[in-house]
Amino acid sequence: MKEKSLRPWLLLSPSLTAVFLLLVVPVCFVVVYSFWLRAPSGQDIPAFQLGNYAKFFADFFYPSIMLSTIRVAIETVFLCLVMGYIPAYFFYKTESKLKPFLMILVMLPFWISFIIRTLSWINILGDSGLINHVLMKMGFIHEPLAMLYNEGAVIMGLLQYLLPFMILNIYVSLDGIDKSLTEAAKSLGCTEWQAFKEITLPLSLPGVSAGCLLVFVLTCGTYLPPMILGGPGNEMIANLIFKRIIGTLDWPFGSAISTILMILLVIIVYTYNRYMGIGQIFKALSTD
Amino acid sequence: MKKIISGWTLIKIYTLLVYVWMFAPIIAVVILAFNPHQFGSFPMEGFSFKWFVKLSHNSSILAAFKNSLILGSLTAIFATAIGVPAAMAFIRYDFKGKDLINTLLIAPIMIPEVVLGVALLLFIRWLQQPKSFMLLLIGHVVLTLPYVLLIVQARLVGIRKEYEEAAMSLGASPFQTFREITFPLLAPAIFAGMLFSFTISFDDVTATLFWATAQNQTVPVKIFGMLRNSISPEINALGAVMIVLTVSTPLLAGFISRRFAKGKGK
Amino acid sequence: MANDLGERLDNVYESYKEGKISRRDFVKYLGISGAALGLVGGPFGMIRQAMAAKSIRFDGWGGTVSEAFRKYAFKPFTDATGIKVIDGEFGNADSYLTRVKASYPPGGEYNLAHLSGVFDYKRYVDLGFDVVLDEDKIPNLKTVMPAIMKPYRAITNGKLSAVPYDYGLTTIAYNSKFISDDKAKKMGAALLWDKDLKGKLGSWTDWRTNIWYASLKTGQNPNDIKDIKAVWSALKEQRGLIKKYWGSGAEQMSLLANEEVYASIVWSGRVKTLQNQGHTHLKLLIPENAFSWQECIFVMKGTDLSAAHKLLNYMLAPECAFAIASGQSYPPSLDPRKVTVPGAVAGLPGFDATGTLNGYLFADPGYWNTHQLDWAEKWDRIMAGR
Repeated sequence: MKEKSLRPWLLLSPSLTAVFLLLVVPVCFVVVYSFWLRAPSGQDIPAFQLGNYAKFFADFFYPSIMLSTIRVAIETVFLCLVMGYIPAYFFYKTESKLKPFLMILVMLPFWISFIIRTLSWINILGDSGLINHVLMKMGFIHEPLAMLYNEGAVIMGLLQYLLPFMILNIYVSLDGIDKSLTEAAKSLGCTEWQAFKEITLPLSLPGVSAGCLLVFVLTCGTYLPPMILGGPGNEMIANLIFKRIIGTLDWPFGSAISTILMILLVIIVYTYNRYMGIGQIFKALSTD
Repeated sequence: MKKIISGWTLIKIYTLLVYVWMFAPIIAVVILAFNPHQFGSFPMEGFSFKWFVKLSHNSSILAAFKNSLILGSLTAIFATAIGVPAAMAFIRYDFKGKDLINTLLIAPIMIPEVVLGVALLLFIRWLQQPKSFMLLLIGHVVLTLPYVLLIVQARLVGIRKEYEEAAMSLGASPFQTFREITFPLLAPAIFAGMLFSFTISFDDVTATLFWATAQNQTVPVKIFGMLRNSISPEINALGAVMIVLTVSTPLLAGFISRRFAKGKGK
Repeated sequence: MANDLGERLDNVYESYKEGKISRRDFVKYLGISGAALGLVGGPFGMIRQAMAAKSIRFDGWGGTVSEAFRKYAFKPFTDATGIKVIDGEFGNADSYLTRVKASYPPGGEYNLAHLSGVFDYKRYVDLGFDVVLDEDKIPNLKTVMPAIMKPYRAITNGKLSAVPYDYGLTTIAYNSKFISDDKAKKMGAALLWDKDLKGKLGSWTDWRTNIWYASLKTGQNPNDIKDIKAVWSALKEQRGLIKKYWGSGAEQMSLLANEEVYASIVWSGRVKTLQNQGHTHLKLLIPENAFSWQECIFVMKGTDLSAAHKLLNYMLAPECAFAIASGQSYPPSLDPRKVTVPGAVAGLPGFDATGTLNGYLFADPGYWNTHQLDWAEKWDRIMAGR
């Protein structure tokens, strides 16, 4: 009996060791640094003071960037879901021989560096980009449409990066659904739509939930799309962290912003998990 | 009946549109690899292979490409090797603090990479240790572990415990059970997990920028460096080569295995 | 056996607590346990250290610049000394400093680096990463303009921890298809505030550059700004006209080449490169007191100085310096009065044929570095429009 209770820990130990050493301990360093001071020369002075946190909340600047980051993240999650569910459902339903090939295609964008992929939107959306070029040639417009360097472009870049995550997460959970369930429902007189609404959709929610969480969290931590595709004022919180830590070498303040972001994300993820999260769903599924 | 077909057609069209949208920038990258000028804009003036030729002589990018491949492959192997047992523990066992540990193991995606990148360096400095390839590798394993965990767990939930219990009751050891029963059923998820961790490691910029030593710089780090001056279309050429390889390999494999299966059937 | 090991570890821990051994050694002993072994690279770490003695690391801008360095400096150096040059890349100059600061031992694995701006030199010196170079051991240093060395000497008590390597301008470029030469010349720095160009202007995300040009716009001395409020309000006004604050040379080039913007803050060498590639309608506008800067090859604390001296000497050799200059389109630090400068190099933007750098305005490192924290943050707020 004793052996059995040890076994999960044995299975977990490599992962836990790695995550503990490379994540938990380093993050503690960040938290400790957030109480330190920065000397004008760039040296860090050990201290215990809350000045960095006070600075964050001193006016509306940092909190407002934080809020707008969360707003962009929610918009991205929503659009990812709208764009991703139907293709995932297509993969689940299709009997095409090309299915595995189409699945690999979803991952294909990752083979081209993220920076390059993001930069190449400029060739499509820019003033002299493909869309404006075609529209102007066809005489629909005379002045190029300004599609780049605004929040829409940032979200576009984010979607392009995050959509594969959403599609694959939903697909994995759709794939686990026994197709005979929907067949049975249909034989009992349900329409295709009803069968989807009553059976497939609820059973696919774990994947939807995991996908949404993943997209949300990844959006909050990214800085390259706003940097490359955003205009003035589209920066997100990770850009500011990047600037404080890398640009001005202000590690204490950068650490404080990071700590606040991490606390916020942990609260969001925890609440989310509690009510509609992965843990909850796994539990429900694995107890039967 | 007619209505159902039209619904399915709509789904197909929608999926197609999503694909077109997703691949638009990729197609632009590939097309611009054939652009004779450094700054591509449409319409293209001329057509040339010169960036491919230049790429084949650029030892620094090719070395980085090799580093990326090695790092990505090792990351994929280690991340699944430690991720699969962890997923087993979560789905097959009940223990104290399960929720907390599950959250902890997917935490690497919750921390902005800039922070994680610097934080790990601070820790290493405190230990007074230099950077090494091992550090970079373990760092990537930790970064990609959450993806493996999420995918494998989702699949594992669907594999019935009874199969494993039946094998055990027939006298199989836990390891035998895993090898004979669980592993074959889990294989697609393991493969997907490896694919994910490989691609994420292959594409990672920020953390790698901080952790890589001069000898093991990867392609994304090189590209990040090129931003200062200008990104050479050689990078587009490299992307085009990668795309051709990834698209053709599964097609070719499928073709060969089909031929093979046919031959066997006769 | 296990007991024995445990005992040894206890002893090690005891001596660590007593301060007999450093944390580094302590961790090395702990390396017996698997996890730490993974972190330090175990036996590989030792091999790496043994190799380190036979190599020197250089971090630079990559691309064509690195190619030129490899050909003209690293190869002859390795052939002559047998010391390998590990050719690293910045990624980005700020992230490089972050890595240097976060490494162990101070300066870490880093040796030589191609830094921009005297203010960066000062940042490294302030953080204690400087060394004292023995100038007699670098004979080619005699051909370097004395004027370009002066600001470095001022920071490190007359000594050098770096050799100046090249210089250039952060200035304005305009597209002559849309903006007439007359107009550009007449407006000078104010071109970046021209309301007719709304949505067609570009600038850099860099706080220093923007404050510099706003001080020119408001008629102030950039190295001694009296009315900072006027600078901020000029920048706020300008923000509404700017299409994109670019963050890298690659972006600035594609913005100009694709006609996304008609005028922008630029790095002189980048525009020269565009012109060489056939974008001849892009022209440089160099207003009075344009932002000049210089780059140096900095030697990091902990570097084997005798190897560094030799390598620096190769890098300063005229054929190497001129190749690098053509590669990145920034003129070299060599004194035109002492070496014969080829025509292509003399034609680079901002080239000073007199070798005195009179009339070039550089950023005063002390002044700018003391304001960095406040101004960089204030600038972020303006750029964000809040």
